[in-house]
Amino acid sequence: MTPDQTGTAALTEDQVLQRIRATLAEQKVPGAETASAEATWSELDVDSLDLVELVKTLEDEFGVTIHDEELKPIASVGDAVTLVLRLDAERASA
Amino acid sequence: MTPEVVITGRGVVAPAGEGADAFFDALTARHSGIADGVGACVEFDPERWMTPKEARRTDRYAQLAVGAAAQAAEEAGLPDGIEPERLGVVMGTGMGGLSTLERECRNWLEKGDRGVSPHTVPMMMPNAAAGLIAMRLDAHGPGFQIGSACATGAHAIGEAARMIQRGEADVVVAGGAEAPLTGLAIAAFRGMGALSKEGVSRPFDARRDGFVIGEGAGAVVLESADHARARGARVHGRVAGYGASNDAFHITQPDEDGRGAAQAMRDALADAGAAPADVGYLNAHGTSTPFNDRVETIAVHAVFDGAAPPVSSTKSAIGHLLGGAGAVEAVATLGALQHGVLPPTLNYEEPDPECDLDYVPDGPREAGGLELALSNSFGFGGQNACLALAAP
Repeated sequence: MTPDQTGTAALTEDQVLQRIRATLAEQKVPGAETASAEATWSELDVDSLDLVELVKTLEDEFGVTIHDEELKPIASVGDAVTLVLRLDAERASA
Repeated sequence: MTPEVVITGRGVVAPAGEGADAFFDALTARHSGIADGVGACVEFDPERWMTPKEARRTDRYAQLAVGAAAQAAEEAGLPDGIEPERLGVVMGTGMGGLSTLERECRNWLEKGDRGVSPHTVPMMMPNAAAGLIAMRLDAHGPGFQIGSACATGAHAIGEAARMIQRGEADVVVAGGAEAPLTGLAIAAFRGMGALSKEGVSRPFDARRDGFVIGEGAGAVVLESADHARARGARVHGRVAGYGASNDAFHITQPDEDGRGAAQAMRDALADAGAAPADVGYLNAHGTSTPFNDRVETIAVHAVFDGAAPPVSSTKSAIGHLLGGAGAVEAVATLGALQHGVLPPTLNYEEPDPECDLDYVPDGPREAGGLELALSNSFGFGGQNACLALAAP
């Protein structure tokens, strides 16, 4: 299913989680395919450069904009899912 | 007293073979690593030396460098028992991360700023290889890369030897790497008329028409003889001397009378405390360009005054590895010393009256009692390096 970027249909948690896993897998992060929402960047050995790459993909894929200050507290896969869902919801209601 | 510098590890990733011994065997078997006009390391698998994630974030030149350095480190038994602060890394590249630069330029032109990967800088920077090798070996001593185009690998080994002699490190991993088989680089070298139109590397032959471009890396582990002895490391040879000079003549052409090249050879001999007559073999820069091979021959005559040793060019078998050449050829020279066998110059059939040395076209040739050999490397920019290597 192609995510709807017009804001008419809200993203699901699973959609975002799957995309994060797939992107990290493209970045050859070990264990990316099965990473749980609880998995932290530190556990996955995801560094700041990996994160920049991930953020760009998520922005392009879901039509959201993630600012640096929003990224700071994001420490796990689940944090990133929640952030993308919140930004998507804000965009839809704007 | 100046400490003696010995070689306790060797590593090669070259078009003709991987591993110092396999590489030297290929040279003496007259095996050529050149195909379709280039010298490619077709069997090199970066994931043998790094994780898939690391390999993805590393330019090919640095992958090759890590491969060669890892072999050398393994042979020398690094880093076990080495004080991290006394372990240095001096690598080199002539061009840096060319394939990364090329890809990201394309991304930038097509997609704008957002299209440029965050890994661009750490992949293309010319010191990435030294950084990655230091991380791998926990080397906290001096670390940097040297750039002197096609002389880079030899300068890196020479400067690393100096570092040990000055007491700045006990052990240094040194070498050079290049991965220039990209569209832009090949077009650029072809555009300046440096590449063989025929795609054949035939150093010193009358028909030579340019060099064959190749990729690869070489590395050695250098340490003071006392340090090697104390830890019981096997010694494969010695860096007996090192000479470096500038042509200060032209940005790409060698000095017509070979003055800079001759100075580098004389300085390497003086540094080794040796006379020209002590040299039993010379591994030439021997690029297969009309200019280099003629001028190098003039320089060899000037140094050896009618009594030149046999001379051969490794580039006849693997092409010109640019920043990797000097290091790979140092390992080839070491192989000659270890085995008492001179590798041949391949494809040498038609003598050029201006190139009148013994180029070992019939090799491999037995050279029992070989004790001292020179390895020449001359770079664009007019920068020359010569290593005097000795049997252990």
